[in-house]
Amino acid sequence: MMKRRWKQSGAVLALSAMALSACQSSPPEQTAQEIATSPDGGTSACPSQVYWGDTHLHTANSADAVFNGVRLTTEDALRFARGDEVRSTTGLDAQLARPLDFLMVSDHAEVIGIGRRIADGDPELISDPTIRRWHDMMNENLEQSTRAARELIVGYAQGTLPERLADPEIARQTIASTWREHVEAVERYNEPGTFTSFIGYEFTSMPTGNNLHRVVMFRDGMDIFGDTLPFPANQSQNPEDLWSYLAAYEERTGGRAMAIPHNANLSNGLMFAMNDFEGAPLTSDYAERRQRWEPLIEVTQFKGDGEAHPSLSPDDEFANFGNTGWDTANLDGSAPKEPEMYAGEYAREALKRGLLLESLLGVNPFQFGMIGSTDSHTALSTADEDNYFGKFAMDEPNANRAAHSIGATLRGRVGWQYLAGGYAGVWAGANSRPALFDAMARREVYATTGPRMTVRMFAGWDLAEADLTADPCSLYERAVPMGGNLTGTGDAPRFLVTALMDPEGANLDRVQIVKGWLDADGELHEQVYDVAWGDADERSIGEDGNLTPVGSTVNLETASYENSIGDPELQTVWTDPDFDPAERAFYYVRVLEIPTPRWPVFDRLRFGAELTDDIELVSQERAYGSPVWYSPEA
Amino acid sequence: MADRWRTLAREPLVHFLIAGLILFLIIGRSGGVDPASRTILIDEGQIARISASWEQTWQRPPTADELDSLIDGFIREEIYYREALRMGLDQDDTVIRRRLRSKMEFLARASVETTAPEEAVLQQWLSDHAALYAPGAAMSFDQIYLGNEMEPEPVLAQLQQGTDPADVGTPISLPRSMTDASRAEIARQFGEGFVQAIDTDQIGEWQGPVSSGFGQHLVRVTAHQAGDPPQLADVRQRVENDWRSATLAEREEQAFAILRDAYSIEIEGVD
Repeated sequence: MMKRRWKQSGAVLALSAMALSACQSSPPEQTAQEIATSPDGGTSACPSQVYWGDTHLHTANSADAVFNGVRLTTEDALRFARGDEVRSTTGLDAQLARPLDFLMVSDHAEVIGIGRRIADGDPELISDPTIRRWHDMMNENLEQSTRAARELIVGYAQGTLPERLADPEIARQTIASTWREHVEAVERYNEPGTFTSFIGYEFTSMPTGNNLHRVVMFRDGMDIFGDTLPFPANQSQNPEDLWSYLAAYEERTGGRAMAIPHNANLSNGLMFAMNDFEGAPLTSDYAERRQRWEPLIEVTQFKGDGEAHPSLSPDDEFANFGNTGWDTANLDGSAPKEPEMYAGEYAREALKRGLLLESLLGVNPFQFGMIGSTDSHTALSTADEDNYFGKFAMDEPNANRAAHSIGATLRGRVGWQYLAGGYAGVWAGANSRPALFDAMARREVYATTGPRMTVRMFAGWDLAEADLTADPCSLYERAVPMGGNLTGTGDAPRFLVTALMDPEGANLDRVQIVKGWLDADGELHEQVYDVAWGDADERSIGEDGNLTPVGSTVNLETASYENSIGDPELQTVWTDPDFDPAERAFYYVRVLEIPTPRWPVFDRLRFGAELTDDIELVSQERAYGSPVWYSPEA
Repeated sequence: MADRWRTLAREPLVHFLIAGLILFLIIGRSGGVDPASRTILIDEGQIARISASWEQTWQRPPTADELDSLIDGFIREEIYYREALRMGLDQDDTVIRRRLRSKMEFLARASVETTAPEEAVLQQWLSDHAALYAPGAAMSFDQIYLGNEMEPEPVLAQLQQGTDPADVGTPISLPRSMTDASRAEIARQFGEGFVQAIDTDQIGEWQGPVSSGFGQHLVRVTAHQAGDPPQLADVRQRVENDWRSATLAEREEQAFAILRDAYSIEIEGVD
């Protein structure tokens, strides 16, 4: 008899299969609101729906946002995300065609609110001549304001800010009053069952311009969160100190929190380094804490896509998505990228490193799921190509934003290189803080580059073709969802995958399973398998191992495409043909849409934007599922 | 115009604003004393205000040492303030102008930001904007997915002759039926176009083809109820948020309009 079992994910709040099967058998008599406001917040309900949201958004409380002209607040951001019309900083009326289910406004914690005080001309601050000059620039026009922003960001990255900004008394007052106002707004807009707003912020660690940013997310409301203050990177740039703060928070309040790293692609190899912040080799204690506090990464957003890179995955013909411009240097462009840095920057390679580290340390420090977000600094969370609202106020819709240099803050990059953003898809049983947070902690989440396609994966040994039509809630008894762990000794596990197109979007080109593994010699490998594809009667895998391209229906004149190629839904039950039960491995789903026009094409149509030849006009948007990890039974 | 004035005169905001202006211009400006005076009196009322302002930030009263240093700070500020006024430093300073402007705007907003609206005010807001809060129509329906190639008419004919709906159509992982679903719930699964294309008057009959982003469907509406009018208790927080947000903007504009009306403004050199 083959031995097999599955364990729940490392996250503490993993669902039990018992609870799921119990709830799945009860009829849906409760409304969504009733489930979300029930005593457990819907955490025991079957994760039958994917909820869409953004965990990374900035408002005028972020210094770089307000310096770049943005004046919208936490409240504006929440109103916009839940579907209200909001007037943007540049005076445009903006409204989401499809509201989000949840939002976390995550302003930079470093003296949160200080930029607004400077803009308002606080006398304690503008007594400094540099700050006074910035104040005048911020109130002069957008161009001057952007120039001031550049000085601020460069000063922050290089540690040359005016001393007044570090005055502890000014900082304490500013943080305390801004934070209270912010949290109160977050609290008022949290409507369980309808719209969830999370308390959170961004920890902006960037030693010498190398990006180690994390957004910090809390499961709790004011009743538990109380008067907790953010932990800023000017207190310590070391993420381990952030984890200690999170541990202290949980200890003190009984609440829950996590940190979500982003833009590893701008870390110059530091985000997934084989050493800790001080340069010492990783330990099992480090690995345990990292896995505990960082169950997810934000893999795709405005500042590029971090799933894969052609230099690391030369055999993956789709590894070049969203890299252009972002793979040349660190965040502020102060240090160029050296070839050996890529391995510490991209998710797939980090997941591979995790397997190796697990074999050495007994714990995998890089056992993370993947979500997308925007990192918008306009307070407006937009992620579609046809509604791209820009990174900063100067990037709000206008004819010049695609061709314009982004400027010294992100030195060497050009506007069109921004992606239109991403969203997080979260499989949960209710739209509430606890249900969504717990789903994220157990990694039952996926990233998309904007489109809202529905992507599911289950892995286990008792899965068959017939399960493709079964109620997914029934599968939890026999399989683990994305984000889970499998342990075995014998047969290859099976993977049930379904991908349904965004009903307002493009057909699907293909579903792939990306596998990474560690062989007996300690070597790491990867392989991308095409497991299901559209127009299956006309396309096949050629001798080079590549599937026939799906083609393109993009019309650049009209910024449109037709769903005459690809399929609305792709699904399969797949078995790894190269499975070796003795090798540690991970498997995650990548779903590609058919080609569609990028946001600069819409700008040309709408504003007559001049587009230079180097601008990428077409892309295949995509989703990345969180992995399932396989390990041989000890 | 006269009507508008009468309405405004009844507005509590206007009373507040005028009182605020007087306080601000006469008393607030000098802390209650003549700036030409060289006597500074820190009375108990002043100490209480200093202490309260500190407490507002830190949520606890200051200790004796903290209070001493706050008072020292206040004296220093007061001396500099009076000297600066004597030297005329408040004239033609853009920062001071901006600060004063934002203080004026703050006065207009302050009453709305802090007061809890009365039940009747919110009830009125809810009835004026009922559509925003209505749970919306709820629909129950069955659907059969045909994909993009299957001809709808023969399938429709089969269904009308009593064929089991489970035996026709193309598989897709969309719900075959939804019960009491709101428009938004249906749209998130099938897209907005699908919801709009359904004829909700046709109950119990198969209709179609109905198009969605996925392709074509046949749909049978089994029940359709117009939404109940929303109850304040169910949507109270949202109503209060919206009322506050809209009222803030409105009050600010009203307050400015009152001031603006008292000015005659000429702009030269503009056609």
